[in-house]
Amino acid sequence: MIRYEVIVIGAGPAGLSAAIEAAAHGLQVLVFDENAKPGGQLFKQIHKFFGSKEHQARERGFRIGEKLLAEALGLGVKVILGAQVIGIFAHRQVTVMQGDHMEYYVGNSIIIATGATENVISFSGWTLPGVIGAGAAQTMMNIHGLRPGKKVLMVGSGNVGVVVGYQLIQAGCQIAAVIDGAPHIGGYGVHAAKIARMGVPFYLSHTILQAHGTKSVSGATIVEVDSFWQPVPGSEKNLDVDVICLAVGLSPLAELPRLAGCRMQDNPLKGGLVPVCNQYNETTVKDIYMAGDAAGIEEASSAMIQGRITGNAIAHQHGYIENTEFDQCHTKYQGALNQLRAGMFKRDSRKETGLRYTQEGYTLSKTLLTKGFLSTSELSVFPGIPTEVRRRQGVTPIIECTQNIPCNPCQDVCPKGCIKIGDKITNLPVMSASSCLGCGLCVASCPGQAIFLVDETYEDQFAAVTIPYELVPLPGEGSKGVACDRAGIPLGEAEVIHIRTTAYNDGTALLTMKVPIEWAMEARFFKPDHIGEGG
Amino acid sequence: MYRIENHPILHQFDKGQRVSFLLDGKEMEGFAGEPIAIALRNSGVLVHRYTAKRAEPRGIFCAIGRCNDCVMIVDGTPNVRTCVTPLQAGMNVETQYGIQSRGAAENND
Repeated sequence: MIRYEVIVIGAGPAGLSAAIEAAAHGLQVLVFDENAKPGGQLFKQIHKFFGSKEHQARERGFRIGEKLLAEALGLGVKVILGAQVIGIFAHRQVTVMQGDHMEYYVGNSIIIATGATENVISFSGWTLPGVIGAGAAQTMMNIHGLRPGKKVLMVGSGNVGVVVGYQLIQAGCQIAAVIDGAPHIGGYGVHAAKIARMGVPFYLSHTILQAHGTKSVSGATIVEVDSFWQPVPGSEKNLDVDVICLAVGLSPLAELPRLAGCRMQDNPLKGGLVPVCNQYNETTVKDIYMAGDAAGIEEASSAMIQGRITGNAIAHQHGYIENTEFDQCHTKYQGALNQLRAGMFKRDSRKETGLRYTQEGYTLSKTLLTKGFLSTSELSVFPGIPTEVRRRQGVTPIIECTQNIPCNPCQDVCPKGCIKIGDKITNLPVMSASSCLGCGLCVASCPGQAIFLVDETYEDQFAAVTIPYELVPLPGEGSKGVACDRAGIPLGEAEVIHIRTTAYNDGTALLTMKVPIEWAMEARFFKPDHIGEGG
Repeated sequence: MYRIENHPILHQFDKGQRVSFLLDGKEMEGFAGEPIAIALRNSGVLVHRYTAKRAEPRGIFCAIGRCNDCVMIVDGTPNVRTCVTPLQAGMNVETQYGIQSRGAAENND
């Protein structure tokens, strides 16, 4: 029997952050993970994260994973991989299956950070090969470099559905449609808008009726549902797809605290059955703590802060830090967590407002909530959209950010202070009158890819529109293609006049295209000539 | 086939040596160290097993070793999760029928 001061179960964002926090205060920490590689789901997250600087916003998930891992190992945290914890017994005895044998450990404190598992829905044909979880799609393409198929139906329009949809397109797949039983897109509008402008159709109030195929998926039938979630006869549509991706939510993986005798609660706001915890993430069993999604579904940035809160509490419990330092750290982490939990997409606030108005009182775009793009007529009221008069003065950012999400890198990176969000990071960004350099840092830093540069003074009758571009091959300067509007509808020919790639922008190229001036506020995607049908 | 040669964010993927292995006696190719299921998917193989009672096809579902849908017989051992088992040169992979190989399943009849 080997004893450690802290045993962490799960080397994902929460577990590693907890381990780092505890080890930084001098505790001896051991981490188990059942997988062959640490990092949990972080290494599959190739998009830029939301939040503010302290949440590592505008960093891609896998880079955050690399940093966490290096930091943990640097602090002497021991990570044992391929180790499946099968139970926690009396006196915090941890039983671990490693290969074909059992090992026994004891932790003075235990942190359970086992994460979450994907939900599924069943329908006719749902067991056919080709029906996969959205997480499976991410694992296949972002870890193993393999497309899960050619043409995909995405079931679920939450952030996982729309983000994985975008990543599938980056990997070279087509998306036939994104469907959701709810009448509104569940994820951030900016994520939906990324794929809408590439031509992906959204079908809200739709569900999947059947997956077709004998040995694997060869198609799908979707159907509209009424307000009682019943299929509307005659509304069936057949889609030609070879992959059906399920992105229908997550459930906490909380078997271990349950086995350990922790008091559990069924809490829909936390995504299911979770242990009851105090403000320091300690369960009802002394010295057994939680961190991350296993204690309630949120997202990776929150999970990392939860890990810090837990690690800090354990360091205090073991006498490694004084009361004042403990309190200061806890207050700091709690503040950072509260920032991420604010905004209209928080589970309980969404219920109250029903996604109708922003906190500033602007009416939300209906087309954004149902089709995934902003209509030009709805756009002008938002504070990130400069006036026509301002646009005639030269290059200016167009900030198409219209929902209250906790994010502020645009304010942070602008060297001229053109963009104001303020201290409350869920505020909508406001364009101020000061002069834009046209550097494009805001365009590349926006995790929602919702900022564009428009120069209506570029040439007589022509405007230059700069968009974030993350596809291969990168079009060359001088190449021709088609400018598409926010709905992915081709407007007509456009020419690439400038391509900027920098290490700081980390894979987000700035593509500037020349378009007729009347498309300046319409053209938001560039489709190179050699690419066929969008989506 | 399904390999991503050039990814806009991740660029190239580090792969092991190209190796051959057997699927139901037929020679296949993949990269050493990648999950068996990935090598199979790239070759267009989606069916990993047939269920015991209704002989329904099953393949990759979760790709992280949780759902057990992708199990196959690997070097004689049934119920091996192919999505988390690294491919090695010369492996003998068999489609699983219920909990056994096709030959064994037919002998039962």
